[in-house]
Amino acid sequence: MERVQIPVVARPKPLQLTDTQVRVVTKDNLDAFLLEFEEQYGEVAFVVLSMRDYENLALNIADIRRFMNQQTEIIIYYEKAVTEEPTDE
Amino acid sequence: MAKIYGLIILVAILGGVGYAAKYYYDTTQATIATLRENNSKLEVAVDTAEASVETLQGDMAKLASLNKGLQEDLQKAEAYGDELRGKLSRMNLTVEALRDAKSLEGKMNGATAKLWRGFMDDTGNTNDYPLPDWLQQVPTGTGDQSGDTGGESSDTGSSSSEASSTN
Repeated sequence: MERVQIPVVARPKPLQLTDTQVRVVTKDNLDAFLLEFEEQYGEVAFVVLSMRDYENLALNIADIRRFMNQQTEIIIYYEKAVTEEPTDE
Repeated sequence: MAKIYGLIILVAILGGVGYAAKYYYDTTQATIATLRENNSKLEVAVDTAEASVETLQGDMAKLASLNKGLQEDLQKAEAYGDELRGKLSRMNLTVEALRDAKSLEGKMNGATAKLWRGFMDDTGNTNDYPLPDWLQQVPTGTGDQSGDTGGESSDTGSSSSEASSTN
């Protein structure tokens, strides 16, 4: 039986992410935070997330990671399916 | 004279029988040859069909195995989000922040760093990246940096892991 030969292509370049810092601010440490922040960055301008939004952001990222990993697994599945080598699973 | 006629008739009959026998023999041999040739073709066809069936069966077994592995891997990929959802539902970040903001901040930063490195590792980037400055600073008394460090190193397994997922 003739098989259709499908070449396995290279994966995309891996992610190279940059670290991000989270600050937790409450009424108790707000003043200290403002002083420290201004001293560190020179200006007082920042992005604020409520705890609920922070949780939602985390869940969104988790879902993106889930999707990304599942896509990768599906790609691996197809790569194994089009190669002649018997599967080791 | 009658004997001669009888002999001629006998010879004619024997000749006819002989010709018929020869004709039957030739026809039978030709049929046998045709059947033998057809049999050879059928054997080749059967061999090809059996080989195709074996190939298809092998492919089906391979794909079934691959599909089983794929389903398991797809399920594993769900675990991270499920675990995060469970942890977030069990804890109240606002209460944690009001109780000890710096500790929570440290856990969040540690887990965030761990998450980004996990992302990079997932995509094939296996380089060892040092922790950011805010996770490497020695505790200064404010509690900020100590919480950060603890969040990345020791606490990532428990509440920091939820923070990791939270970021």
